[in-house]
Amino acid sequence: MKKRVISLIMTGVMGATLLTGCGNASTSAPAATTDENAPAATQEAPAATEEAPAAEAAATEVNISFYTTETGKDDMYQDLISDFESKNPGITVEYIAAGDDQLQQWMALYASNEGPTVSLMDPINIWENQERMRPLSGEAMLDNITESSLSTMTFNGTVYAVPMSAAGIGILYNKAVCDAAVGGDFDPSSIKTRSDLKDLFDKIEATGVAATCITGVNWSLGAHYLCQSYGEAIGDTKARVDYVNSIISGETKEIDNDVFNGFMDTLDMMAQYNYNKNDPLVGDVNLDAMALAEGKCGTWFMGDWAWTYMAELVEPGAEFGLMPVPHSDDANDVTNQYLPTSFAKGYCIDASQNTEEQQLAGLKFIEYISSDSYSQEVQAKRLGQALPFKNCTATIESPLGNSTAGYIADGRTVDFYGTPSLCPSDIWYECGAYMCEYLTGACDRKTLADKIDAYWANQEKREY
Amino acid sequence: MRLSPSFYKYYKERGIMHGRKRAITNALEFSLFGLPSFLIWFSVVIIPFIYGFWITFTDWNGLALHINFIGLENYRHILTDSAFLGAFVKTVIYALFTVILSNLVGFILALVVTSGIKGQNLFRTGFFTPNIIGGIILGYIWNFIFSFGLTKFGEFTGISWMQTSWLTNPTRALMALIIVSAWQMSGYLMVIYIAGLTAVPSDLLEAARVDGATTWQTVTKIKIPMIRGTIAICVFLSISRCFMSFDTNLSLTAGGPYKSTELIAYKIYQTAFTSMNFGEGQAQAIVLFVIVAIISLLQVYFTRKGRVDA
Repeated sequence: MKKRVISLIMTGVMGATLLTGCGNASTSAPAATTDENAPAATQEAPAATEEAPAAEAAATEVNISFYTTETGKDDMYQDLISDFESKNPGITVEYIAAGDDQLQQWMALYASNEGPTVSLMDPINIWENQERMRPLSGEAMLDNITESSLSTMTFNGTVYAVPMSAAGIGILYNKAVCDAAVGGDFDPSSIKTRSDLKDLFDKIEATGVAATCITGVNWSLGAHYLCQSYGEAIGDTKARVDYVNSIISGETKEIDNDVFNGFMDTLDMMAQYNYNKNDPLVGDVNLDAMALAEGKCGTWFMGDWAWTYMAELVEPGAEFGLMPVPHSDDANDVTNQYLPTSFAKGYCIDASQNTEEQQLAGLKFIEYISSDSYSQEVQAKRLGQALPFKNCTATIESPLGNSTAGYIADGRTVDFYGTPSLCPSDIWYECGAYMCEYLTGACDRKTLADKIDAYWANQEKREY
Repeated sequence: MRLSPSFYKYYKERGIMHGRKRAITNALEFSLFGLPSFLIWFSVVIIPFIYGFWITFTDWNGLALHINFIGLENYRHILTDSAFLGAFVKTVIYALFTVILSNLVGFILALVVTSGIKGQNLFRTGFFTPNIIGGIILGYIWNFIFSFGLTKFGEFTGISWMQTSWLTNPTRALMALIIVSAWQMSGYLMVIYIAGLTAVPSDLLEAARVDGATTWQTVTKIKIPMIRGTIAICVFLSISRCFMSFDTNLSLTAGGPYKSTELIAYKIYQTAFTSMNFGEGQAQAIVLFVIVAIISLLQVYFTRKGRVDA
């Protein structure tokens, strides 16, 4: 009898424990799981607060979460969150950093009904999941964002995200190496054509230094190098979308396109001077950054974010800069001299799994990120990139970021994508692999173009 | 008919209880020992499996709020998708060599550490260690060795084919994957082989020695026939593990160079999480499930057959 009672009690306890896990998650706020001390009242979204203004939202305790795909910036964001929380009592931000695969963790969070309140994602990911996002059009904080930077975050006339920073993509140069090569003060604006670039490479090699470096990784070659060929050189946003749609429908073939061939001709030329020529795919962004910083190579195809890898390696006073990749031998083609800048990530707010109260707190967080002077200072220092915020007076320490800022100030930049939906989210992996194969010489131009055509043929038509 | 107290006592003492009481006791015992495990298994295996199977008939991207039913379109696509079929062929090649290599090494190691050599327990621990290290960490360690360690050695010795990374050449990258997987798995298989070898009757081995059998003859004529069941377990275990191999593939080659080492599990991951074709990724996973299920059923069949034959 005694055993039976014990077994019954134990069964009951086990059953109750199991069923506890099956509770309705929607009754608790997503971020509430991380802060058990938060008052229960904050975990439910009272309907009455739905129309409350943003200022009143923070009057009560609210927990939100922030998911970032900007890797290697954990300290920066945790610092900003601490500052934000001190300036906004009542709002607690849970920090969630992405790992190697940013989408997997994002999907996992949504699958567990814990969609982050604020996410820092690529525009294509926001576009693909815009039905979950809170439209930001009409929010006062957008007045502080430069208009040109919002196009990548705008879908069908509605703004869904606030851009993080302007990332310049092109050829980084070590000025000391280039100065020695040209026998004077190297001026990047003197590189107007592919031939100019080749001359520079010849001169650098004559000094005994490798002329350039290509990091043979899929994301660099697929998302950055190849996607240049769908950029400004094709035309305006409509022309770009029309072009990729014509490949999707099979009306156009990559191999017949002058812009594609132009960029590939430049890649072929650069490959001859590649620092990693003996083993083109062994490239590692840290090692290649070291090679440029130490003057083992004169130039490197990458972007201004590379300062993250270089900052600790460069000698004090060493100068570095950025220049566009020329895709033709036409000195009058401005797209050879305009730097593609990408607003590669944006802050968006989830409206599908977060309460109105949390969304308003999320708005405050993005407003802080984009307009607070301390936040801007920290970002300018750590991101080392130009910030698209009108009231920003912070100084960028990165010479590469300053280089991009210089192009922006001179009006010599072109929007890398033009529209968030231009290139699919997996182009870096799929076409990046084809580009890696091409770089090693394992396939010819025609094979590469055919594979890229086949990739596009499986995509849905793009919108603008 | 009502049983007399003495009759009831008789049966109770012998553990034969009244049918109704017996049923209650059984239910209680099941509730105590079986029900929690069943509920957990049902929650984390069966429900996700059914849900995942349903997703294979949709175009869900893993995040969309609206899901469209597309019937067997995902299955039709993967069966005509050259990339998926290519990943399947590569997995078969990878599994073939890894299974042979890991079982061969595992068996030889088991023979060595059961031969009575000095410090055999230390060797057992040492050989089993790679299996304890996670596949991700193992992959990164070997990535460094293949990309930078061996290339430095090649530069030092002047051996030209070693001066470039193994991981940047499709054939050598697959070889690297096989070597690392076999290295990791052989220690695990060794433990199973040890269990099999220690069960071989010592009087049989003693008799063989008295009859003048050589070491080779003892192994081939006595030990191997006596552990056929163990061999079947090891072979099928390693086959199923090879088909589900993911972590080392991710951290060692990441499918590269240019997707030449993309094994089936890694391909599923890429389809679902990089290309955001969750429905198609799930359909690929179902195909993998069927393959592994067939392998497991074959394992059960051959293991039983081995036992009967032995």
